Amino acid sequence: MATAILEQFINGAMMGSIYVLMALGMVLIYGVMHVLNFAHGVLFMVGGYLTHLFFFSWTGSYPLAILGSMVALAAIGIVLERLVFRALRDNLRMQIVSSLGLILIIQNGVVQIWGPHALQMRPTTVETLVKFGQLSFTLQHFVIMGVVAAAVAALYLFLTHTRLGTAMRATSQAPEAAVVVGIDPNRVYTLTFMIACALAGLGGALLGPLFIIFPQMGDAPMLKALSAIVIGGMGSVPGAIVGGLGIGIVESLSTLVIPTDYRDTITFGVLILMLLIRPWGIFGVRVRGED
Amino acid sequence: MRKLLLTTALAAAFMAPAAYADETVTIGIVTAQTGPLAAPGKFQMNGFNLAVDEINGNGGFQVGDTTYMLELKVYDTRCNAAEGASAMQRLATVDQVPIVLGELCSPVAAAEAPIAQDFQVPLVVTVPTASSLTEQGNPYFFRVNANSGQLNEALAAFVETIDSEPLSFIAWNNDTGRGGANGMRELLPEDFEFGYIGFFNVGEVDFANHITNIRNEDSKAIMLLMDEEPGALAIRQIRDAGLDAKLIGTLAMGSNRFLDRLNAEYLNGMVQYSSFPPNAPMERIKNFSDTYREKYGEESHGFAAQSYDGVFVAVEAMKAAGTTTDGAAIRDALAEISVDGVIGTISFDEKGQASPPVYITEWCEDGSRKIIAPEDLAADCGAG
Repeated sequence: MATAILEQFINGAMMGSIYVLMALGMVLIYGVMHVLNFAHGVLFMVGGYLTHLFFFSWTGSYPLAILGSMVALAAIGIVLERLVFRALRDNLRMQIVSSLGLILIIQNGVVQIWGPHALQMRPTTVETLVKFGQLSFTLQHFVIMGVVAAAVAALYLFLTHTRLGTAMRATSQAPEAAVVVGIDPNRVYTLTFMIACALAGLGGALLGPLFIIFPQMGDAPMLKALSAIVIGGMGSVPGAIVGGLGIGIVESLSTLVIPTDYRDTITFGVLILMLLIRPWGIFGVRVRGED
Repeated sequence: MRKLLLTTALAAAFMAPAAYADETVTIGIVTAQTGPLAAPGKFQMNGFNLAVDEINGNGGFQVGDTTYMLELKVYDTRCNAAEGASAMQRLATVDQVPIVLGELCSPVAAAEAPIAQDFQVPLVVTVPTASSLTEQGNPYFFRVNANSGQLNEALAAFVETIDSEPLSFIAWNNDTGRGGANGMRELLPEDFEFGYIGFFNVGEVDFANHITNIRNEDSKAIMLLMDEEPGALAIRQIRDAGLDAKLIGTLAMGSNRFLDRLNAEYLNGMVQYSSFPPNAPMERIKNFSDTYREKYGEESHGFAAQSYDGVFVAVEAMKAAGTTTDGAAIRDALAEISVDGVIGTISFDEKGQASPPVYITEWCEDGSRKIIAPEDLAADCGAG
């Protein structure tokens, strides 16, 4: 049983790392702009497709393809923020409807370009196996955990040690006061979208090669990330990290005691429970009149 | 010169087999040509087209004193029950075809079958496997291919003969997967030891949780009840996780296309049931596979072979009934005929179900396949 727990822990930590990347992007957008972007999952999926494109058509290098995908997603982030979300900034309902519409547009666009069939890419990290006794994982499992840890550390340093990061935090905490001290909120919003979309692209670029790249590959990670930010606390970066990793590990370990097809009920059961007893989440701040 | 060209053209026209045909019969086709199941739909359509080309190329077929050429009226049902029902109704009422062939998906065939009965137009399916389809007491419904019960019976008989206990399952969380797992459990002896039985939703790609549970149960064999794409993913993850249990798959996992998704090392020793081993050393299969490869440039497929046979079944029924318009008479003929097809001899029982042979094939070390059951048709690597 100890072997099974270890195996599931590593698998859960790997998937949890992916949820962390997704949750961080969503929480940044929500924290700074109060926009709930349901289209974040399809941006994750586009990251997978672009990595495949850059790997096979241009670079032949997996790290360069990941970088290219993140840059392309950041550019897509600028377009989405300027064309869609800026105009709907103060209308949460319209934002939600628009992001749901974006899912359909982007998913169908991808099917038009790449077709309905799944794509595969097998960089060396996916073909290399790491063995611990009778257990065996692909190197990509550890690459995912390592890259996500590095991305989280880089994001933390950016938010706490740079002027732009400070401007983002200031806009998040008090938008009017931020304007008074000379921060341009529009620039901050664009930057936030760029970073969030690049993180989604990174997620798709890391997970796609491990399994397959297909139009619906971002749907489940998006739902898990949404649960992570609700459980961790809406707008809380530490909450997104703890929530994402926690969901990954708990859902994986839970399959040792409950049927695997009930795995998601654990995640969404905890989500509903959290909304009932602590709607502001683990790290969130209770706001008067919110519950 | 002009006169010579005209004479040559006329001579060619009169020499062409089509010139002898008096009339044309249009057969209805319902299949998925777009949507997520467009790829298997293409195999089915290739089979229909190959048969029509062959029949027309040989000058058509004769019913009474009249020679007919064949034409197909194809509707894309996209594996959608509503679209299937609508297409079936259109074929019966607007196009007024005497017989309909197809379908790809069991739920769509289930929606089309009552319409076939209402309008007395026989529906002959060539791919759907749900056993329940031929249990509805519908006299206008016929199935050329083996159903899931027949496929499972062959596989269960084989599983009993190998060291496979405890046997674990990873199966789709739908009718096909759950039905298959339950069917196998019913077919195997009561004291047969089962291990982990896990289901996954369509679209899920991470099988790590299932694999841990299978390792925990110390399973000797794993049955994968799923399609080609998740099957390839599951096998890769099982082998990458260090599990060396025997793999048992479905007919989707016994083709060169499946090998292209993985490699010979991952597949070596895996067994699967098959309704059509394309390289079998049998004259009828060899001829079909060669013709198919020549026309479409790829390995032939069971769906194509079954569908090819479906067209010949329809033609033989019209010939036996002596009509190309009376659906009821063609139905009666279908119930009686016996056709030597590519997949075997096709004749229907009282439920409209044919009983073609079911094969068990095994992957060899070099990436080819051999036939290991039925015993009298067994053949070495390269034959499966």
